[in-house]
This record gives sequence, C-alpha cells and structure tokens, in this order.
Amino acid sequence: MKKTLLMSAAALAFASVASAQVKVGNPMAVTGPIPDLVAPMVDAVNLAVAHVNEQGGVLGQEYVMVAADSGCDPAAAVDAVTKLVNVDQVSALIGPVCSGATIAQATSVAIPAGVVTLSVSASSPAISTLEEGTDLVFRTAASDAYQGVALAELAMASGISDIAVSYAQDDYNAALAAVFAEAFAGMGGTVTANEAHEPDKASYRSEVATMGSTSDNLALFAYYGSGGITLMRNALETGAFSTFIGADGMLAQETIDQIGAENMGNATFTTSASDPTRNAFVAWSALADAAGVPASDPFVANSYDAAFMMALAIEAAGSADRDAIAAGLRAISGPDGETILPGEFAKAKEILAAGGSINYDGGSGPQDFDANGDVAGFFSSNVVVDGSWSATLLK
Amino acid sequence: MFEWLLSDQMVGNMLYVNSLLLMGGIYALMCLGLNVQWGFTGLFNAGIAGFAAVGAYTYAILTTFASGMHVGGFELPIWVGMLAAMIASGIIALGIGAICIRLRADYLAIATIGIAEIIKLILKNETPVTNGPRGVAKIPRSWEHLADARVAEKFPWRLFGEPTAYEGFFKAWYPLLFMLTVVGFVLLVFLALEIARKSPWGRVMTAIRENEAAARAAGKNVTRLRIESFVVGAVIIGLAGAFYAQQLRFIEPTNAFDPTKMTFLVWVMLIMGGSGNNRGAVLGGLMLWVIWSGTELVIRFGANVIGDVFTDLSPSVLVTKASFLRLFLIGLILQFVLQRFPKGILPEVRPAALGRRTNKVRD
Repeated sequence: MKKTLLMSAAALAFASVASAQVKVGNPMAVTGPIPDLVAPMVDAVNLAVAHVNEQGGVLGQEYVMVAADSGCDPAAAVDAVTKLVNVDQVSALIGPVCSGATIAQATSVAIPAGVVTLSVSASSPAISTLEEGTDLVFRTAASDAYQGVALAELAMASGISDIAVSYAQDDYNAALAAVFAEAFAGMGGTVTANEAHEPDKASYRSEVATMGSTSDNLALFAYYGSGGITLMRNALETGAFSTFIGADGMLAQETIDQIGAENMGNATFTTSASDPTRNAFVAWSALADAAGVPASDPFVANSYDAAFMMALAIEAAGSADRDAIAAGLRAISGPDGETILPGEFAKAKEILAAGGSINYDGGSGPQDFDANGDVAGFFSSNVVVDGSWSATLLK
Repeated sequence: MFEWLLSDQMVGNMLYVNSLLLMGGIYALMCLGLNVQWGFTGLFNAGIAGFAAVGAYTYAILTTFASGMHVGGFELPIWVGMLAAMIASGIIALGIGAICIRLRADYLAIATIGIAEIIKLILKNETPVTNGPRGVAKIPRSWEHLADARVAEKFPWRLFGEPTAYEGFFKAWYPLLFMLTVVGFVLLVFLALEIARKSPWGRVMTAIRENEAAARAAGKNVTRLRIESFVVGAVIIGLAGAFYAQQLRFIEPTNAFDPTKMTFLVWVMLIMGGSGNNRGAVLGGLMLWVIWSGTELVIRFGANVIGDVFTDLSPSVLVTKASFLRLFLIGLILQFVLQRFPKGILPEVRPAALGRRTNKVRD
C-alpha cells in the first residue's frame, strides 16, 4: 500500500515535469530581515498566477511560478538564482526584493545567462545602469530617484528653504537621502547638514544637538522600528527641530502611538502610493479583496503586476525563449495599444491573437518602462489627522 | 546517442554542480584559514567575516571601474587585486595580533568579534571610500572579464591580439575556468598546509595548542608563533574574500558579510569536517555548502510531489513555508553529524614523531 502510494507519487511528479509548462522563477526574500513585508507580496504573485491559469494559461500551457528564497542577502540570492536558471531552467525571473540581492543575482548569474529579471521592489538608483548594452533588468517599483525628487518638490512647495538631513546607514535610506539632498539643493534650497546615523541606537541626542543648531527643519530617512522613532523623539524633546519630512520608512501607526499625535503636527512623510481613482487600481483592489490579499500594502500591487506582466510578455513574444522576453515586456508595457487591466488575461490573449497590441495598466501604476527598464511611480504625502495617517496623492 | 548530454537541462545541471564546487571551494578556503588558527594553534578567531570583508573590499576597490560612488578606477589586473587582498588581510591580522594575541582563547574570541564589527562599521560609514551601505557593484570576475578592454589592452593580454578573437570563448567558458581556479587554489593551499602541518613549525603550533607553558619552557617564542599562525590564517581568509567578491560581483557590508552566515557557518563547517585536519576542513566546507544549497532543491521537489498528490495544496505556497523548514533541517543534520562524529567526520591525525617508525598516533 505504502509502496503503491510512493510509486504513484513519483509517477505524478514525473508526469508534471513532462507536461507543458511555462516556468518563471520567483526568488523573494522569504526568510531574512523582512519576512512579514514579503508574505503578502508572495500571495499577490500566486494570485496573478492563479488568474492567468484560470484564463487558459500562457501560450496554452500552465504558468508555473518556481519559488525560491533570496533572503535579502546577495550570497543567498546568487545561490537561489543559480538553481532557478540552471536546474529549473526558468524562462525569466520576477521578484528579488532587496536592492543588494537584486544587483548581485543580476550581475553574477542572470545577465550572463541572458535571463530577464523583473524586480518587484528593488528601489536603488544603481539598478538603472547595471550592465551596459544589455536590456535584461526591469522593475515594477519606482526608483528612489523619483521619490527623493518628489519629496524635495514637496519640501519646496511647503516653503522650506533650509533643511538638515539625517539618514539611517542602510542601503535604502542612504540612497534616498542622497537623491533628496541633491534635488533639494538643485531647486535652490540649502542643505545645512547631511549626516548618517547608525540604526538601533538607544539615544540620538548628540546627533540631534549637532544638527539642530543648523536648521529648524529635519529631513529624516529611517525605519520607524530601527531608531527612527527614537531620533524623532529626541529631536522633539530637545527642541532641536520643529518641522519633519521624510520617506516611507517612518510611515506606521506605531510612530503616532509612540510619539503622540499632538506632537506630529509638522510631520509629513511620502510613500509610493497607488492612485485610488484610477480604473486599474479599482480593478486590482476588487481582485485582491476577493482573494484576501491586502491591496494597499507596500509593493503588493507591484508584485501582482510583475507576475501578470511576465505572463503577458511571454504570450506577446509567442515563445518562452529567454531572449524573446525583454522585447515582449516592452511590447506589452508601452503607452500604445489597448489597455489591459489587472486580471484581464483572456482579453489580452484575444487581442494578441488577432495581431493587436496591448498596454498593461497595473494596480501600482501605468507600468511603462523607460530606456533603463524603470517605471515612474505615484507618491502620496501623509500627515497625521485625528491620530492616524491621512494620505494625499502628489501629482 | 549522447545528445541528451548537451540538452539545456543537462548543461544547466552541470552549471549548478559547477557553482556548488565554486562556492564550496570558497568556503573550503575559509575553513583552511581558520584551521591554521584554531585547528593548528588553538586561536579562537570569531572575526572571519571581518577578514573576508577586508579581502573582498581591497580586491573590489582596486579592480573596479571608476564609479563616482566609491574610491576606484584603478582598474588593476585581477591577480594584483587578489594579492593585495591577501596582503591587506595579513596586515590587519598583524596589527590585531600584536595587540590581542596574548589573550587566552575566550578573550581572543571576544576581541576578534569586536574587531570584525569595527571593520564592518568602518566599511559602512566611510561612504566616500566604500560607498557605505550601498556597496560596490560590477566587480570583475576571473576569466569572464578578460576580454574587457581595460584588461585586454594591458600586458600580457595585449600580446594575444584583439579581444574579439577570444571574447566569445571566455564569456562561454568562464564558469568552468573560474571554478577550476578556485579549486586549484584550494588544492594549492591544502598541499602547502599539509607540508606546514608536518613540519617543525606545525608541530610547535600543536605544542602551543596542547600545552603552552611547556612550549614556552622548551624555549619557543610562543607570542611570535601565535601571531604567525594568526596572520597565515587571515591571509588565506582574505584570498577567499577576494574570490567571494568575484562570485557575487556585488558586496555591501551588512548582508553579504553577515556574521551568522559567514563566521558562524565557517566555524560549523570546520568543526563538522574535523578541526586540526586539513582534509576535514576542505570536506566540511564543501559538504555543508552542498547541504545548505541543495536542501532548497530537495524541498522544492518534495513540495511538487505533495502538490501533485494533494491537489488542493499549492506547491508555491508550500515552498514558501518550507523555506523556514530548511534552516531547521540544516540544524538537524548538524546535530546528527556532531552526535555521530564528535571530533568531526575526519578527526585530527597527528604526524608521527621523527625517528619512530610506529605509525600515526591517533588523538
């Protein structure tokens, strides 16, 4: 009995290998420092795969997402992607979450093998220009270069002319701060201080005191859970700063609870956001709600879009060959063609079969790739109203 | 008849085995370095990640293009970068050794942990030099980048004519050549350490490890010898760091040199393989890396089988959940091996004393 069960299991395993599939690798940072952030992103990818398969699959075959773990670590990502590209023979990759892991796996494995990477949340500006002469790295999340500029424009618009910059010494916040400082100075503002701080310290009084003498305004780039709240509290306690702006690392209910809504009157933080009035977002959030996936969580919509666009790209290219996919991605994302909303795979197939062209419009944004494979994103500014964050979309 | 050997799947499988040997070889080098320090002399170095980072960053900064984000643009040949990585790591070890080497085992461990953290913080905060947490990208890899203009136009490669003549060859075959280079270095270091182990130098190291007072009483300059051992080990770890940077092609101070995945893992590899035994160090490095990397494939296959049998379970969801199981599984294997082989899989074998023909004395 046991033996027959095992044998039938083995037979089934072989059968599944033999049947026609289009395989795409998905090395997300399942373990590592941000598993709670990644879990809904994985769900969104699986939701997109389910939608594609419900509507006939890619090229008439089953669309299979081969999951792996890149652990937010360059070494783990290189190892995971080596397996996906060589052993699993995937046609393309979506997913690598962290910027460092994305750069390492692309330059070490994916680009030499000619495999397209479509990252869902890597935001480092360095990704725009990885390997000259190749068109193999794309992403559905906006580069920090865009958010930094958006924040500088916001600061200018609210009448801030001089500002001190303090950023946590990690790849995300340091990159964002550099872009912000450059953009702000370029718009005619004065950056009075630009200092890194080590995350997770018990007190930031000395940092705050040094910078507080230069300006009343602070641009704070930090994660709320690793020192950001402490720094802000120290700044308020010592009266070093009165106005705060910053990016999405600080955006959490925890920040308000710990610091107190009454102290957050002059605090504005930006985050990448979806425009809730767009048809694509309405379509996406309906699908996500039906499946119990949090539609507005960070990078969840981007993850769905990446998985869905990869299926469209392979369908448009007409084959799952590795070298056809980059052109396919450009074909389905461009601003021209009939608009395809999240979940409309059967409709897209029909148009493509009839020789038409399509333009995918995702829940996270229009997803039109520029020459570097980057997309522009939407950002919102968030202020505290009645003890919770209230978002306004920045146009 | 042998067409299946050249199918994409088979070539892919070969390339994966290649990458296993490559990363396993890099870890084997680190194990050999640690074996000189801990296995031979009993120096508890808990700062492996720090020395590897010094080697990796030295190599990366000396060989990369000017990027405008970190000090660079020296574009030195790859072998110069690797030599410099070894020298830099050795010099750091010499400085540390001169100050800390008199500390006994556990105190030396604390000092080296601290030093590794200091190195990490320097790399992280000296942003103009190292690009801080954003790291150094586009690091050239042995063989793969031989045909790049900056390399090809320099001696001795310009003697071989236009790079276009051999560009295709190196772009296609660099994985194999790079792996053979790493494995060649593992072999070279292994043979050198085997000679060292059996030489009087190696015996003194064992004497210091087993009974330092006796070694001192026999007239040996124990402090100097301890520093020597520490530096030799660090030089090997620095070389491994340079290879590590080449393989990843991108390094940053936080995740790439995470002590739990480097210092801790290398220690486990050495203890599992057999500390004091160079063969054990190489075996431990290769074996644990194969387990570490291979379990993901095993689990993925298992998830697919389960997903096929119970159609209401999605393999993709199972694999996500199993990623955490994988760490647990590796721990379990480790427990088993250490229970079964308390002195490592290949325990230390002492060289026979001179002039005595009775064979190896087992410890």
